[in-house]
Amino acid sequence: MAGSTVSLFLDSQIRDWVLFPITLVMILVGVLRHYVVLLLQSAPKKLTKEAIREQRALIRSQILRATSANSPIPPSHYKSISQNLSHAFANGTYLKDGPPKGDTPSAPPNPLTDPAAMDGMMAGMKTQMVMMIPQMVIMGWINFFFQGFVLIKLPFPLTLGFKSMLQRGVETPDMDVRWVSSLSWYFLNFFGLNGLYRLILGSDNAADSSRDMNTPFAAAAAAQPQPGQAQDYNKLFKAERDNLEFSEGLYSWVGKDVETRILKKYSRHTA
Amino acid sequence: MELNSSLQKLGAYQPRKSEKSAETLDHGIALLRTKAYLRQGSEGWEELEKVTLAALDQGNIEVADQCLQIISDKFPDSPRVDCLTGIRLEVTESPEVALKFYDELLEAEPSKAAIWRRKSSVLRRMGKIDQAVTELSTMLDTYYTDVEGWLELADIYASCQQYTHALQSLSHALLLAPQNPFHFLQFADTAYLASDIPLSLKMYLQVVDMTDDDDDDVAPIDQIPTGITLRAWFGVKLCTKRLLTDSKSQHASASHTPAPDPDTLNKLDELSGERLKTAHLNSSPLKEEKEFIEALSSMIH
Repeated sequence: MAGSTVSLFLDSQIRDWVLFPITLVMILVGVLRHYVVLLLQSAPKKLTKEAIREQRALIRSQILRATSANSPIPPSHYKSISQNLSHAFANGTYLKDGPPKGDTPSAPPNPLTDPAAMDGMMAGMKTQMVMMIPQMVIMGWINFFFQGFVLIKLPFPLTLGFKSMLQRGVETPDMDVRWVSSLSWYFLNFFGLNGLYRLILGSDNAADSSRDMNTPFAAAAAAQPQPGQAQDYNKLFKAERDNLEFSEGLYSWVGKDVETRILKKYSRHTA
Repeated sequence: MELNSSLQKLGAYQPRKSEKSAETLDHGIALLRTKAYLRQGSEGWEELEKVTLAALDQGNIEVADQCLQIISDKFPDSPRVDCLTGIRLEVTESPEVALKFYDELLEAEPSKAAIWRRKSSVLRRMGKIDQAVTELSTMLDTYYTDVEGWLELADIYASCQQYTHALQSLSHALLLAPQNPFHFLQFADTAYLASDIPLSLKMYLQVVDMTDDDDDDVAPIDQIPTGITLRAWFGVKLCTKRLLTDSKSQHASASHTPAPDPDTLNKLDELSGERLKTAHLNSSPLKEEKEFIEALSSMIH
């Protein structure tokens, strides 16, 4: 066994013509991929006035409700704002397409038929393609030219369990685990270069291969939250009306007994 | 988020000649000469934007144009630069030209809140108050959270004596920033103008309650009211005086706010008078405040 550790010598040409090129190609492809993805990404679609209004309508009632237990505004103003909002929500004034027509089904729109949602999904697929194709090409290249190559010897011993990780493509049962095969070197780079990319391209880079692990649909949904979950604002508004009513019950004006508070503070309150 | 807030600031910008802007301009001219902004990264560009605004404040169009040129070369499509260009146009060109510029921008992208704000303020300066109000209120209907916008709307309404509407806009500002005593003070002033005295009294008291105790251990009664607290006590005094002398005003509340009972009113009147006297006797070294207190004293005695 002692003999086997010295029985293998690596040609320095393997280092110069296989190990370094594979690493370099992978880094460069990652950087290139980052820029291709940047090119492919279309600018986020501009929202229309109506869409913004719809999205932000809920905020109005949330702001009103946030302070309702100690509201800064007098009762008549609070009531008028609250009831106005409630009416507007009931009538669908804030809906982007205007108030709903009486009998239209209120099913949430199918994301596959909505062109806007489809766009988002396609963008996700495109970036996904840019991610996968170069990796497949590189892996094919390594498999074709360098199959079964042993590239590097780790400077520390490892247990046998690492054999399948470090010696993929070299099916020898009794070679020391410290030797790393070309395919395994590819995988080590594939997962290990993220830190380097973050250093070169900044933390928000598109070369990060850990994202390849997601399914395309998950990636699309993560990249653009709006198309994935087309919200039915009409329903949300209806639900918000209950909240408004609830807060109206909780409402009290901060100025209701402010004069007694002040008199107490200045110790004038005798009653 | 940062972009949004700076856009909001630009949207609310109003030219005024102040010492601070003169200072910024002096500093900015040196900055332009040495081209130091190139070395400061993003802060340098922000500095340049401030210099542009300061130059416009001071009427130094040359420097403003120079800055604007540099900024727009660096960021050709930025909405912030668009807004800045608009402000520059407002200063020298006729309002119609600026309005046309804003209209074109809005047509390309109707959801730009800052441009919208600027458009309504141009309209206001042109004297087309009704259009300015329509623009501003549709904008606020979409971008509800713009406190400055609500305040400006209230200001417009108040300038046309539409105090009820002004109060409504102010109440939105209060909802959005319930921690700001100045909004309460403005609300109280407006309510006083709308001759809703009970409401006004409550709001003045609210301001007092919010501002009179600092973090130090001195009880509020031993403190000398200054600044906004003094102002609020003055308001309280005015309200109680009016409520005590003019019994009709007690029931003339558009918001149906009940007036405090006569006993409380008397106590409040006494207390506010005393607070104002304290301020008068220990009048602070600040000049403006002194004048204000002098004016008050004629009322108390």
